[in-house]
Amino acid sequence: MVMEFFRGGSQSELVEIEATLVRMLRDGHLVFTTATDALFGGGKSKETRREVRMTDKGINEAQQDVRRALLVHAAVNQAELPLVLQYASIVKDAERIGDYSKNLYDLVKFGANFEGAPDQAELERYRDAVANLILEAANVFDAKDAVAAQRLIGKANGFLDDYDDHVKAAYRSTGETSDAVARALYFRFLKRTTAHVMNVLTSLVQPLDRLDYYDEAKEDR
Amino acid sequence: MNSSHLPPGVSPIVAPLKRTLPPAARTVLVVVLLYLFLVGVKLLGTGVTGLGGGTAGGLFDGITNPIAALSVGILATVLVQSSSVTTATIVGLVAAGQLPIEVAVPMVMGANIGTSVTNTLVSLAHARRTDEFRLALSAATMHDFFNVAAVLILLPLELATGFLQKTAAWLSALLPGGADATFNSPIKGAVGWGSNQFERVIEIFVSSGRALGIALIITGIVIIFLTLTYITKNMRVLIAARIERSLNAVLAKSGLVGIAVGIVVTVAVQSSSITTSILVPIVASGVLLVRNAYPITLGANVGTTVTAILAALAIGEVAGMTIALVHLLFNVVAILILYPWNKIRYIPVRLAEGLAAIAATRKWIAVAYTVIVFIAIPIVGIVILS
Repeated sequence: MVMEFFRGGSQSELVEIEATLVRMLRDGHLVFTTATDALFGGGKSKETRREVRMTDKGINEAQQDVRRALLVHAAVNQAELPLVLQYASIVKDAERIGDYSKNLYDLVKFGANFEGAPDQAELERYRDAVANLILEAANVFDAKDAVAAQRLIGKANGFLDDYDDHVKAAYRSTGETSDAVARALYFRFLKRTTAHVMNVLTSLVQPLDRLDYYDEAKEDR
Repeated sequence: MNSSHLPPGVSPIVAPLKRTLPPAARTVLVVVLLYLFLVGVKLLGTGVTGLGGGTAGGLFDGITNPIAALSVGILATVLVQSSSVTTATIVGLVAAGQLPIEVAVPMVMGANIGTSVTNTLVSLAHARRTDEFRLALSAATMHDFFNVAAVLILLPLELATGFLQKTAAWLSALLPGGADATFNSPIKGAVGWGSNQFERVIEIFVSSGRALGIALIITGIVIIFLTLTYITKNMRVLIAARIERSLNAVLAKSGLVGIAVGIVVTVAVQSSSITTSILVPIVASGVLLVRNAYPITLGANVGTTVTAILAALAIGEVAGMTIALVHLLFNVVAILILYPWNKIRYIPVRLAEGLAAIAATRKWIAVAYTVIVFIAIPIVGIVILS
C-alpha cells in the first residue's frame, strides 16, 4: 500500500481513469452486441442473461471506481477541476450504454424476436451501425483524436433522425401491436445509446460547458 | 441536426492544463528552496545570537510557565498556518541558546495543536450541506482531539520526568561528534556558506550589532516562511500523482498502512496541513470513512517533524537536534499510547463525531469552537500565565 507512493513515477492517475473509461466503452460494446444478438435469433438463455447482467455490473462498478478516483484527484489537484467535471460527465454516459443494452435484452425477455422478420436486414443494419459506433468511440477516446471524434459525431448525428422516423412509423403501424412496440422501443434504445456515445465524443471536441450539445442549431445554443 | 455548425472547441481532455515548469526544473527548484530554508534557519540563529546573551532570551523571559509556552506554540502556528515554520524557528532559537529547551518542549507540543486549525478551516467550507459538513468536521477535528489528548497525557508526564527531553538528548548524543555541544553535520558547512553570503549583503545596509541581529532574525523568518510555502506548493505538484495513488490504495484500508501513508506523503510535501486538508473533502463525500482517515492523520503528525530535524541538521547544535527529536518522539509516543489499544483508539474520533453531530445543525458552534480552541484559549493562556 505504502509502496504505491514509490511506484509508477509521476504519471497522472488520470491515465488510469481514462483507461477505465475506454474499458467501460469496450464492455459497453460487448454487452450491446450480446443483448442484440439475442434479438436476432439468439433468443433468451441463462448464459446470455448472465453475461448481459455481469458485464453491466462490471460497468457499474467501474463507474464507481472512476467516481472515487475523480474525487481523490479533485482533492489533490484542484487546478484540474474542469477535467474532473468533464470525466464525471463522461462516466455517466459510458455507464448508460450498459443500461440500454439491458433494456434491449428485456425486449427478448418480453418475447421480441426479429429473426426472419421482413425488416430484419434493416433492423440489423442499424444495430451494426451502433455497435461499430461504440467500438470506434472507444478507440477514438483512447487516442484522444478530436478530428476523428468530430467525424464520428457527424456520422452518428445522421442516424438520430432515422431512429425518430422509425419510432413514428411504429406508432402509425397497423400491424401487430407487439411488433410495433418492440420496434418503437428498439429504435428508442438505439437512439439513446447513440446519444450517450455522442456525449462521450463531444468531450474530445468541446469544453465543459458545451459538453453533450451536438445537435442544437447555433441560435438555440 | 447538421453537424457543420459544430466548431472544434477546446476540450481539457485533448488540451490538458500545461504545467509551467517541467518536473526536472521543479525538482531543482525544490532543492534550491530547501537549501535556502536551511540558510534561513541558520540566519535566524545567528541573528538571535548577535542580539547578545540574555537579550533575545528576554523575548521569552515571561514565558516560563509550560501552559504559556504551549499557548505560544499554538498561537504562533495558527498565525503562520504551519507547524514547520514554528518548529524550525524554535530549533533555531534553542540551537542559539536563546530559548531554554524546557520552555521549547511545550511550544512544539503547541505547534502540533496549532497546525490542526488549517483542516478545521477547510471543513467549514462544507457548512452549507449538513451531512457533508458533519463528516468534514469529524475528519478535521479528530486531529485536534488527538493532539489535545496527546498533550494532556504527555505534557504532565514530561514535566514530571523529562523523559522526552532525556531520550532526545540521548539520541542526539549518538550523532557523530554529538558528545560535544555541536555535532558533525554533512550539510552544516554548505549552509554556513550560504548564510555568510546573506550576512555580508545585510551588513552593507546594517552594520551595528543589535540592528544587524534584528535584520538577520527578520530575514531568517521571512526566508523560512517563504521557502516552506514554496517547497510545499512545488512538492505538491511534483508528487500529486504519487499522493493520489497512495490515497486510492488506502481508501478502504485502516491501521498501520494509513499511518505509513500519512508519514510518507507528509515528509514529501513538508506539510501535515496539506495531507490532512486533502482528506477533508474525500471524507465529506463519504468515499473515505472517518476511521480510515484517522491513521493517515496520525502519520501526518509524525511526517511533519522531519522539517525541524532538517533544520537541526543544518545548524549542527546538539540542543537544536534535541528539541527537533522531542517533536518526533512526542508524536511517536502519542501514537504508541493512544492507537494500539482498541478501547481508547477511537476516543478522539468519537469526540470529533460528537462535536460534529452537534455543530452540523448549529454551525456557529463549529466557528466558536475554532475561535475558542485556537485563538481565545492560547491568548488567555499567554496573558494570564506569562
